[in-house]
Amino acid sequence: MTVLEVKHLKKSFGSIHAVQDISFEVNAGEVFTIIGPNGAGKTTTLEMIEGLVSPDSGEIRFGELDWNNHGNTIKKKIGVQPQSSAMFDLLTPEENLNLFATFYDKARPTEEILQLINLTDHRNNHVKKLSGGQRQRLAIGLAMISDPDIIFLDEPTTGLDPQARRNIWDIILQLKELGKTTILTTHYMEEAEKLSDRVCIVDQGKIVTLDTPAALIEKLTEEREVRLSFLDGTDAAKEVCLFAKDLDSVTRTERKDRSLKLWSTDPENTLYSLFGFTKEKNYHVEQVSIREMSLEDVFITFTGKEWRD
Amino acid sequence: MKQFKEMFVAQLKLTFREKQAWFWGIFFPVILMTIFMVIFSGSSDNEFSAKVAIVDENPNPGSQMMLQQISQIPVLEVKNGKPVTREIAEELVKDQEVHAAIVLPEGEDATSILLVVNRENEQGVTTQALSGMLNNLVQQANLTAVGATPTYELQFESITSGSNEINYTDFLLTGMIALAIAQGGMFGMVDLVEMRRKGLIKRLRMTPANMNIFGLSDMVMRLLFSIIQIILLSLIGVLIFGANLYINFPSLLIVFLLGALSFNALGYFFSSFSKTSEAYMGVANIFSFIMMFLSGIFFPIETMPEWIQPISNILPLTYFVEGLRESMVYSTSVFSSSLWFGIGIMVLWGAVTFLIGSFLYKRKSIVAAR
Repeated sequence: MTVLEVKHLKKSFGSIHAVQDISFEVNAGEVFTIIGPNGAGKTTTLEMIEGLVSPDSGEIRFGELDWNNHGNTIKKKIGVQPQSSAMFDLLTPEENLNLFATFYDKARPTEEILQLINLTDHRNNHVKKLSGGQRQRLAIGLAMISDPDIIFLDEPTTGLDPQARRNIWDIILQLKELGKTTILTTHYMEEAEKLSDRVCIVDQGKIVTLDTPAALIEKLTEEREVRLSFLDGTDAAKEVCLFAKDLDSVTRTERKDRSLKLWSTDPENTLYSLFGFTKEKNYHVEQVSIREMSLEDVFITFTGKEWRD
Repeated sequence: MKQFKEMFVAQLKLTFREKQAWFWGIFFPVILMTIFMVIFSGSSDNEFSAKVAIVDENPNPGSQMMLQQISQIPVLEVKNGKPVTREIAEELVKDQEVHAAIVLPEGEDATSILLVVNRENEQGVTTQALSGMLNNLVQQANLTAVGATPTYELQFESITSGSNEINYTDFLLTGMIALAIAQGGMFGMVDLVEMRRKGLIKRLRMTPANMNIFGLSDMVMRLLFSIIQIILLSLIGVLIFGANLYINFPSLLIVFLLGALSFNALGYFFSSFSKTSEAYMGVANIFSFIMMFLSGIFFPIETMPEWIQPISNILPLTYFVEGLRESMVYSTSVFSSSLWFGIGIMVLWGAVTFLIGSFLYKRKSIVAAR
């Protein structure tokens, strides 16, 4: 079931075309991640969907609801954790949650939220004394106070240490178990890969690709990098290199002293032939590896490596 | 209603936990008022007096008569209580042991009375007063000499617009209350700039929270804070420095409410174009400083150079402090037209700045229609 539908969103600020043409659908219960370099238009896209910025053109629908006619109803259905974790610094987490709870007709008990975000120990400290990770967890808690069906998390882990990041991952996975739909933006590919059902890569205001993390990686794995090194020294490496070049599946080789890198469209058979050759020559292979592809490779492949600033 | 209550409680906590608010809103005005009262009202308690030396080198009936009259003037203190020689008197003037020496006529035929002062004090107020007194004395002596009675005499009477007289303590107390409330309004809106900078306003707009109720609860909180200021400053003024207040409560309520709202509108206006709290504080400081000295807080406007007075007459604080004096010292009734004229100018400031402020906020779509 589609809970959010975005069609041909466009938004410019003066001469800057922040969002040029973005369309996607989000299904109920999934974690939908938008990734992209800085300035790609992620936050503008989110702010349009959250009703803060009105798009120049395009359509945003939450099921039957749209911002122009059902603004207040949508606000009750969604929970938002903005990038700047804005809250009242001189109030405690508990007071912040209680205050936000009064904004809604129905709200989850503060106690429950405090437990979910693991802040029961800090409930009576002023927010300004909390650490970055604790603040971020409270921001997520504030987004969940109205028990919304759809939760927006804008870079919830940016600037956090690995421990705090994993805490937030746990919360996101708990939300998924509760059947909530989460729309997430992040800089960390590892995070997108671990948490998301589907990933949408945005660059220069456009969607460059959208699929499940596994499918995206699959698309790239036509060619894999294989590394070998030999105990028998440079001569052995040279000879194996010459042999590999003659194989049909090998597209490129690179050799430095005793180690050899090659790129193959069929790593399994390439290795089979290579080991046949080394056995025949009686060379001893010291190390062999096939590099794992990650979402990061997908990201770099799609968005390039050049300097953007 | 529940939302208002919760928001108000939150505002209450936010204000009471903000140490800066306490310092600038409560502690600072109290200190400032105490300093000014100690410095200025101390001297106004003592009446004018001057020390003089009398030289009567050649006692005669004329000089005796004058000597007797001079010694009866209560504000003149005669050094040593009796005449001294001219040399000693001049020494005393040079050393500023006495303010002046009065040399009485040296014989029946002598017609002049001489006032000797130190050149440093030649233009001083005391010298002016002394020469005025002696002139009076000489005039009377002249009249007596020709056996005439004065045709005209000067009578002195002071009037005020109200029923009660104002002394400097009352003047300063009401001035400080006005200043504290005005500054509370002009500086207080820095919260709004901070909330905007931190994205808190944006955050609240993502919820169904009613922003009007939020603004209202904020305003009620500010009014409450100002009431604390009024009560505290009044208590200190009355109990410690002996100020006399004759309060007309309906007038005070109206002046206070409209004044506090107007100055908050001014702060709102500053916040509409300030991106950082530093920028905001800069603007608020300039306005606050100009008004502090030009609006008759510490000194009456009439004592300032004439070319400055037109500026004072357009500043809102001038009318706020006037309104407070009317309602707290003169107990002017709510139906006084002069009271409403002043309030009118002040409210005009509030209304215009509020409208421009709202316009600027809207244009930057900080408060969107949605």
